[in-house]
Amino acid sequence: MYRYDEFDALFVRERAEQFRGQVARRLAGELTEDEFKPLRLMNGLYLQLHSYMLRIAIPYGTLSARQLRKLGYIARKYDRGYGHFTTRQNLQLHWSQLPQVPDMLVDLAEVEMHCLQTSGNCVRNISADHFAGAADDEIEDPRILSEILRQWSTLHPEFSFLPRKFKIAVSGSAADRAAIMVHDIGIQIVRNNQGETGYRVFVGGGLGRTPFIGHEVGSFVAKADILAFVEAIMRVYNESGRRDNIHKARIKILVHQIGADEMRKRVEREFEEIRQSGALQLPEQEMQRIAAYFRPPDFEGLSHISPEFEHAQKTDVAFANWVKTNVHPHRMPGYAIATISLKPIGQTPGDCSSDQMEALADLMDEFGQPEIRVTHEQNLVLPHLRKRDLFALWRKLDALELGTANHGLVTDIISCPGLDYCDLANARSINIAQEIARRFADLQRQHDLGELKIKISGCINACGHHHVGHIGILGVDRKGVENYQILLGGSGAEDASLGEILGPGFDSEGIADAVENVVATYTQLRHGGERLLDTYRRVGPAPFKERLYAR
Amino acid sequence: MMPQVLTANRLSVGEVVYWNAAKGWVRHLHEAEVLADDKAEDVLKGAGVRSVQERQVVGVYLFEVRVKDGSIVPVKTRETIRAAGPSARRDLGKQAD
Amino acid sequence: MPADRAYVAVADGEPLPADGPVIVSLKRFQAERDLLLARGEKLGLRLDASESPEQIGADVHKLALIVLHVPYFRDGRAYSWARLLRTRLGYKGEIRVSGHVLRDQVAFFARVGVDSFDLPRPVSEGDVAAVQAEISQVYQHSVDGRETIWDLRARRRQPPAS
Repeated sequence: MYRYDEFDALFVRERAEQFRGQVARRLAGELTEDEFKPLRLMNGLYLQLHSYMLRIAIPYGTLSARQLRKLGYIARKYDRGYGHFTTRQNLQLHWSQLPQVPDMLVDLAEVEMHCLQTSGNCVRNISADHFAGAADDEIEDPRILSEILRQWSTLHPEFSFLPRKFKIAVSGSAADRAAIMVHDIGIQIVRNNQGETGYRVFVGGGLGRTPFIGHEVGSFVAKADILAFVEAIMRVYNESGRRDNIHKARIKILVHQIGADEMRKRVEREFEEIRQSGALQLPEQEMQRIAAYFRPPDFEGLSHISPEFEHAQKTDVAFANWVKTNVHPHRMPGYAIATISLKPIGQTPGDCSSDQMEALADLMDEFGQPEIRVTHEQNLVLPHLRKRDLFALWRKLDALELGTANHGLVTDIISCPGLDYCDLANARSINIAQEIARRFADLQRQHDLGELKIKISGCINACGHHHVGHIGILGVDRKGVENYQILLGGSGAEDASLGEILGPGFDSEGIADAVENVVATYTQLRHGGERLLDTYRRVGPAPFKERLYAR
Repeated sequence: MMPQVLTANRLSVGEVVYWNAAKGWVRHLHEAEVLADDKAEDVLKGAGVRSVQERQVVGVYLFEVRVKDGSIVPVKTRETIRAAGPSARRDLGKQAD
Repeated sequence: MPADRAYVAVADGEPLPADGPVIVSLKRFQAERDLLLARGEKLGLRLDASESPEQIGADVHKLALIVLHVPYFRDGRAYSWARLLRTRLGYKGEIRVSGHVLRDQVAFFARVGVDSFDLPRPVSEGDVAAVQAEISQVYQHSVDGRETIWDLRARRRQPPAS
């Protein structure tokens, strides 16, 4: 993974000191809240319901053991001993205090971390496939480009005051594990007929009040040109994005208004100018220097079959169940990718305690794991495990409540913090996730239902990604009472689609029942091994509406 | 209009506080001063604005309450949660005090 | 480029002073172009946030000063307009930013080619330097031609020719 050189290290140290000065000026009254707010937002510091919330950047979701351990330490020292992993692969601490934040930034800088641009109208954390470097269908590690974009977009003088936030995601394979189709810019690494690697670029995807799937604006952008191309898109957006209405300010609205063809034309025009100006945007040497950090670890020559692994599955049912859902094929024989579920039944989805973080860091050291990833579905991934180590690892994970065998199943729910924490929320989401998980806890039933992604948001900002849930739930405020709308048929993968609202919402008492009714309709109508998503796409909303509403 | 309470977050530590003219900014809702609707705006513009200028608090606003059997009960769920702490973590926030 | 403070901003419909440099709106410039250019004085033009410098057309090089107005600090179009002026349009005159700008934004403006500021609180070159000094290196190329971290890395890789 990327390691800071002295330039990167100095940058984050200076940033921490800069913020210390800004906090001091705020507390001394030299800055009003209106003047201070944009400064603290560009360091990821929000004022939420109960306290300040600090959003720590985890570039493309990748952490070393040292970094994970430090996050656990910071959460314990400055916060309440836990953090929340988000749908953008970041970590949120919900109980921060303003005078301590500069010290938190210094502690983060010590392990090459920061909170730069995790809020504000600028380029946010670049997210990428959490199976990067390990997946067998990968063309190239998407984190190389992600790191290049991260550096390029950091305190960019032209693009720090965009009409609105800007989110970029990169995928390294045809399978989309980074939800690139619902990002402001989505980049897919592809190969052309000459065998060259390049980028397919989508623009204008996004969730929130007006969700859209992204449009292709570049079918094959050469490596040498990608920064110029991204800069061109950003410039068109900065110049022409709406500034009159915060709800119409994302690039997706601009694309929708002018059309994909016009967008493509404007981007091409800017792109040509940048190219012709000869400004060497992406020095080949720098690209190679960064790429070198993402070289895969030295893999052992192992055989495909691990007798220990096979034996453990046969003798330990619980382990076998975990393998079934949480272990994924690796491109190297004898290796595997494992998803560590942060969705134990009845707990807060995506939360992780300091104890767990520190214990996980120890496990990483014990099992020789250089990296751990955060996924946009609020789980963690260990990408390069030896199959023969999986049983021993799982037993230790299980003892830490990190061994829940539910990845991709109905209880693997994605949920924003909602009204329990968030100043923007209209309804709580965590309690709904917990209730649904409790209803469906039976593992056999979960396996029978197969892949079923439930995503819950506590408000229209859609941080829970409810638009791309197979079942999406949106919490709203209906005359002062929490109310929940159901959407069906969304997907954030390469078959991207936006969920459709089924009908009137349900109250807190009724929403779990409604979800059970949706699932019951699915089980009655499904063909073969169809997922709920597939059944919905085949039969449409009518049978679901009838079950839920015809009375 | 209903009776109201003036609330904010402390500038430094960020915690939720409520206004009571006799005590200043207090931590618990039950210690807050219930403001009759005609007085509330004045308190917001007076003590509220002053407290922001003096850098004690940020995000000052009024919210509606009912008084039931001597208890101050917020009308909105959001304020119930602000007063108590996250319902998902009963061991955190003021509810755990 | 040192700021020239002699300009007088003239509102639309207001008569022009007999002499001395003035700043007029784009609208006025488009309506009274010949008259304004015939004055024989330096001419300044003020652009609102929504007005791209491309609307000025070929006359842009006849302008000694262009003022980019920022209605509210969140409106970041002026950064792109300044860059556009310096690069695509090759503008060599003075670029000034007016309006609502936070102290920490002046460093960004300086990078994209802005020379001076007309703000409620005066901003000196020393002020800009002080803000820029807080983060001593930059990652990306911009109009100012400053060496970036990527350049520094490349330089370090090639030892200087002896």
